[in-house]
Order: sequence, then structure tokens, then C-alpha cells
Amino acid sequence: MTETIEEFASVDKPPSYYEKLNRDINELNNRLHAFNLLSKIDRGVPFSVKDNICVNGVESTAGSPILKGYIPPFDATVVEKIKQASFSFIGKTSMDEFGFGTFGINCDTPAKNPFDEERVAGGSSSGAAVATAILKHHIAIAESTGGSISAPAAFCGVVGFTPTYGAVSRYGLIDYANSLDKIGVMARNSSDLRYAFDIIRGTDDYDSTCTNRAIENFSTNKLTVIKELVENVDSEILEPFNSLLDTLKGQGYSVEYKSLEILKQSIPAYYIISMAEASTNLAKYTGFKYGHKNMEFTENYNLFFTNSRTAFGTEAKRRVILGTFVRSASVKNRYYFKALNIRNTIIAALKETLKDSLIISPTMPVFTPKFSEVKELTPVQNYSMDAITIPPNLSGLPHMSFPYTYLNGMPVGAQIVTDHFNDYALISFLEAWEKSFKPKFKYNIGAI
Amino acid sequence: MKIGLEIHVALPTKTKLFCRCLNQDNEVPNLNICPICMGFPGSKPMLNREALRISLSITRALKCKTNDRVSFVRKIYFYPDLPKSYQITQLYEPSGFDGEVNITGKTIRIRRIQLEEDPAKILREKNYSLLDFNRSGVPLVEIVTEPDIYSEDEAHEFLYELRSLLYYQGIDIDREMKADLNISLADERVEVKNITGIKNLMDAARYEIKRQSLLIEGGRQVLKETRSYDESRKITETSREKESDEEYGFIYEPDLTEYYSIDVNIPVPIIARHIAHELSVSYGFNLKTLSELIYFDKDSLRLVEYAKNKYDSQSIINLLEILKRFDCTSIKDKVFDALMDLLKRKIDITKETIIKLEKGMQIESVYSSPERIDEIIRAFLQKNTDMVEKYKKDRKVYDFMVGSITKNFGLQSKLVSERLSIVLKDIIDNN
Repeated sequence: MTETIEEFASVDKPPSYYEKLNRDINELNNRLHAFNLLSKIDRGVPFSVKDNICVNGVESTAGSPILKGYIPPFDATVVEKIKQASFSFIGKTSMDEFGFGTFGINCDTPAKNPFDEERVAGGSSSGAAVATAILKHHIAIAESTGGSISAPAAFCGVVGFTPTYGAVSRYGLIDYANSLDKIGVMARNSSDLRYAFDIIRGTDDYDSTCTNRAIENFSTNKLTVIKELVENVDSEILEPFNSLLDTLKGQGYSVEYKSLEILKQSIPAYYIISMAEASTNLAKYTGFKYGHKNMEFTENYNLFFTNSRTAFGTEAKRRVILGTFVRSASVKNRYYFKALNIRNTIIAALKETLKDSLIISPTMPVFTPKFSEVKELTPVQNYSMDAITIPPNLSGLPHMSFPYTYLNGMPVGAQIVTDHFNDYALISFLEAWEKSFKPKFKYNIGAI
Repeated sequence: MKIGLEIHVALPTKTKLFCRCLNQDNEVPNLNICPICMGFPGSKPMLNREALRISLSITRALKCKTNDRVSFVRKIYFYPDLPKSYQITQLYEPSGFDGEVNITGKTIRIRRIQLEEDPAKILREKNYSLLDFNRSGVPLVEIVTEPDIYSEDEAHEFLYELRSLLYYQGIDIDREMKADLNISLADERVEVKNITGIKNLMDAARYEIKRQSLLIEGGRQVLKETRSYDESRKITETSREKESDEEYGFIYEPDLTEYYSIDVNIPVPIIARHIAHELSVSYGFNLKTLSELIYFDKDSLRLVEYAKNKYDSQSIINLLEILKRFDCTSIKDKVFDALMDLLKRKIDITKETIIKLEKGMQIESVYSSPERIDEIIRAFLQKNTDMVEKYKKDRKVYDFMVGSITKNFGLQSKLVSERLSIVLKDIIDNN
């Protein structure tokens, strides 16, 4: 964020700028529902935080009514780090309940796409993507479990960066599926992205899965397109994607095609593991220590807990039920353990491909859908929308969605994946791409 | 009759298993708590390596096998004392498995040793219950035996051995121990859950033996059931628990990584039973007496190791028994030697003697009488007749003699100097 940091941190801006920013955000918020809370804006570069990441003293609900009123008494490690770097916290961003969703509709007030308010913003980090698309100078701290950064970034035309699992501390993240959850960044350009990533990454005494491994920058000119990732993509998306490949070839990249059959199993493996873990994470919401309080104390504790949990949304309930089933003793080998094995096989297969190339694909298999279209989808159709974002997420591989064209006024994103702890290669790729492509935005709040 | 035990002991770590809260009893409820042991959304566990080390050390003392990689699981069940609604425990790669504890004439197999967190404490009042989270997250080790215990005596001896093994791992099993007792005299297993303390465990076992024997003698069936123990009435009662196996839906704890047991440095465990046996064979100690002295006293064990090559076994035992009586086993080696000397010369040892020796005050109190000092000097000179001869030729040896006696017997040089000339004169004159 080199330029913008200097602009805000070292130059003495009059307070009126922040007042204007606050007013603008408020006004837009009424239409786009990107933020579910706004704090007083201080000085410093604005940053927003996805609602499932704890900010000391600020209500953090992870988009769920069951956590209404939960005010964490601590900052998530990433929030602590970014606050120390003199960024200014401006608010929590809306999301699908606990991250359960691809379109941002599994919550009270779904965020709308700033390019077309009849269309979804994508999920689950919907608010983060919208905020990035409307604010000129801003960093969004988002989180991805199975594609929650890539999907909304693609639909809202911003860069969505999901680091290697373990590169960024998860302490303070309200868990969806702990072995899959990754905190990442959304931004408008590579310099902001690099600046924010350098602040938030690194080992943490409060997260055992967070490592101090060095982040590499092994660049390559070889791109691999995997058949299983593109075969179910709508033709209206596939056409511009093929043009993108031609453009990249013109810039000196080579493109190879390859088939990885095992990737067909990534959706079931992902949903089994994520639901199994989610159903245990959601067990703690029993309605008497924080968030939603059940004040009916007349029944025995089993009934009390059952009644408390009616506050979950439909998708959360579905995942608790399915997740509890797949880890039950009689079927655990067939589902949970099998999924863990498949995950290992997929990781090995992808790493083999990533040895000397980057994997490139469209981010989403469909054109940004309208709210009315999404409502018609069955749960399984919904889950299949994650087909391309799941493999890197399931494998903990760093990946990034970046805007590369506009179709009927809507941005379209592509996803690029690299090997574990080679995250900088993605940022380097983006730096090169920015030389030939300038993203467009409908709003530029904060522009002076 | 077959008895199997599941024993939970709290580990003596400074902090809790997954957070930095103090692991200590606190009279003020909910004082040692934080977002982690309260299970607040967003918090994550961080393993206390010392707890892992102790669990692996116990594993070794109980001759268990250990996995190269130790892992944790979530055990999911709903209960008000469980803040996350799951307990972090071990299942697939526990700290230890397939171990054994030796008792007289047989081996009690250990099925599993696992490290886990304690839930909060429930304080039940008449119309309501209170929760104290000070205990939430305290590290526990659960030791599960095979049903290899066939009598009350064996149960007693097993617990005695286990307590000693754990004592040498720094655990005071008498302080807090919880056990589940599985006991079957006939075909069906009866489980008595949540018994606190060794005494209650033995009482519960005795009650069940009697109850089940009476049923069998009366030609009635012993039912497979879960019972609880009532301390005040010393009886077990049926608890209204379902008998079906509970579904805990275990999954790996994804917030913790795997831990390599080889990375943990574990000293060779002290097994008092083996040591007592070896000492009795090699040095002629009375096995029973020695065992009683060292099973729960690492200081006594240290003194035995120190003294075994210097003194005869019976003298060591005699002195240790005196020290034990005065609760004074943690003395310095030098003091032990001084006491051994007193014992040899049949001088009474009192608690005061020991305390004064420990404080370096021996001269005035123990050897204050000139007769005693003369006695010591004479004994010394008898052993070192060459010194007397040297002295006859060269009076300069005098200072050296004073120094040797002072050092060897821990006396004050002024007193020795005064008495030595008199004793020497007496010896030389009388020869």
C-alpha cells in the first residue's frame, strides 16, 4: 500500500475528509448493506473486518442471530497487527451466517452488488468485497473456508487474496471449519495487497496451526488449465476466459492443459470435512454465556440447549445436521475419514502440478446471478457453485481472484493458484497483470 | 471377579492445558479464567507443552507404547460444565497405550493413557446450580486399565503401585483423583462412575463385591448398569443413565497440530518397586522395609542411593526410619554422614540434633562437652596412628591434625585445638 499509506499516514489530512467518508459510507450502506456496523472513523488508512473476526469491544456476530450481542473482549491477532500499523478500523462487514454461503444471501440483509443492485455480491465475504469495490483507499480483512474470498471478489471486481493455510493467524476468528479457515485480504491493487499481507502474516503464540515459514516468490511463466475446473463453466464465462489465456500467451506465458480426475471428489470431500467441523464449532452456542440468551430456565438442560439453537438460520441448521451425521460412529469411515484421505490425495495431485506452474481458471462457473435466480437453486446446486474455488481451499493452497474483463457492465474474475508458502508469486503475477489491465469501479468513495 | 479402572489425575502444571490461566485451586470462583477456557467464539487452544511432557513421562513410567505423533480429538456432548460443548481429549493417537503395572505375581495391563481438559465445576444448590470455570481447562491424565484386577487385595496393591509411580512424576494422587470402577462378579459389567479419592474407590469396590455376591448367592441376576457411589452412606446406587453407548461424534481437533513425541525429552522414570528390588538383591536391604521407606519419599530414595556404598544396609534403614519419624528425610548428605556417625557411636538422635546439624550449629549443641570431643579425637587418632608418630617428630603437624579433625567431624577448630593438645599429651605420656 506504499503510495496510499504515504498519502494518508504522513500527510496531515483535515478531519473533514473522514467525516465525508463516514457520511458516504452511511449513505451507501443503506443501499448495499456492506457494513453491519460503523465506528467513528479515526485517522489512518481505513480497514474493514469481516463480521466473523473479533474486534475488541465491537459486536461480532459472524452474521448469525445466535451471536447477537456478542462483544468479544479481545482483538483477533490480525486486527491487533493492523491496528498497530496505524490503520483505522471503520466497521464490520456483512456475510453469510458463519460463512455458510456462496452468494451472501444467508443473512438478514444481503449485500447487493455495487455494479448492479439486482445481482448478488457473492459470499460469504460479501460486505468485504462490496466495501472494497466502493471505497477508494481501503483494505478489507476477509476470510475464506471454501471460496468465501474468491467468489465475492470475482463478482464485485476486486482482488481477493487467500493466503496459504497457516500463513496468517486465525486467533480471533469465529470458526466455521478450523482446518480450512483462512484469513485473507481484499484490495483494489497489488501494492495495497502486498502491504496488508506483510502486516497480517506471521507466527502467533495463540494459534498452533500458524507457522513462521518464510513466504517465497518462485515465479513461473507456465500456466496450467485443469480440465475438471473448467468443464462445467458456462460458455459465456468460458469465452472471455479463453481470450484471457490468449492475452497472457501474448505476454509470454505458456499454457498447458491437464486432467486431474481426483478433483471431481473435491466438493463432497470439502462439504463433509467442513460440515463435520462446523457442527462441532456450532455446538458451543447454547444460549447462556454470550450472544443470544435463552431466558427460559424451566426445562432441563437438554431442552434448554435445544430451544436455544432454534436461533440458527436454515443453512446453519442444515450443516449442523449433516455434519453431525457424517462424523457419527456408524458412518464415520465412509464419510469423515474417507474425506480426510481424499483431501490428502488432492493436495498431493495439486502440489505436483504446482511444482513448476500456476493453475489458472475462471473463479466462478456462472455469470453474476440475480437474487431472484439464486433463490431458485437447491442446496446441491448451490454447493456446486464452489467447484473451482474448493480445490485450493481444501488443500490450503494460496490463491487469488483478480478482475480481468467486464461483461454487460459486470466484472468477471479469474483465479490463480500457487504452491504452499509461495504466496508472493500471486502478488507478482498481479503486478504484471496490472500493467495491461486497469479495473473500473462505479464508486470511488474517499477519492479526493 | 474382574475389575477395570479408569483413573483421572490432575497434572501439576503452572498453567492450564490450553491457555495461560493459572492451574491452581482458588477459593474465589471464576478468577482463573480467560476467553480460551471459557470457550468464547474466536478463541483457540494452544497446547501446554509441559502437560504433554508429563503425560508422556507417565506413559513411560507405566511402560506404555507411544505414537510418534500424538494427536487430539473433540469429544462432543452437551453439558452445562463444558464451555465449548466438546472436550479436547485424545483417541486415535493418545499419549500412551498397551502398558503395564506390576504387582505381586502378576501384571495389570494398561489399555490407554490420554491427556485431556477438565470441565468446569458445578456447584449444585437446592433450586439452581452454579458454575465455577476455575477448573475448566485444567490438564488431566486418564489412565485406563484392562479388567485384570481379580481381587480387593490386587486392587489395593495396584493403586499403591500406581500412586508411587505417579508420585515420582510429581503428582499427588491423594489430592484429587477421580475414578470409574468397572466390576463384574458374574457375566454382566457394572460401572460405578465418578468416585472421588482412593478411599472411596476401595469402599465402592468392597460394597459392589458384597452386593453382587449376595445377588449371585441368592440366585439372582446382576444387571448391566451404571451406578454412582454415595460417600455419606457408603453405598452404590443405580443412576438413571441410558445403557446404550453414547455417540460422541469424535473428530480430530483441527485447532491443534500433531505433536512429535520424540521431540519431548523424558528422563528415565523412577519405578520404586524396581529400585527397591535391585537394592535388596545387591545390597541386602530388607525389601519390605525399604519399599515402605522409599515408595512415597524421593528424599529417602536419594539418601539410600547416596549411602548404599558407604554404610551397611541395616544402618541405613535404621537411620532412615529415624529420619522418617521426624519427617526429616530432606537432609544434606553431610548431615546424613554426621548422623550415621552418631548412630554408630550409639548417641541418641533427636529432632533437635537434626535441625541443628542442618543449620550448621552442630558444634555447640552436639559436641559441646569436652568429653565428647576427646572421644572423637581419640577415635580419629586410633585410625591415624601415623599422625601421632609424625607429631612426635615434628610439632608443626599439629595444625594439620586440627584441620583434618575439624573437617571430618564438622567441629569448631578452636575447640579441637584446645582439646587435641590435651589428648595428645595423654596418649604420648601413657605410651
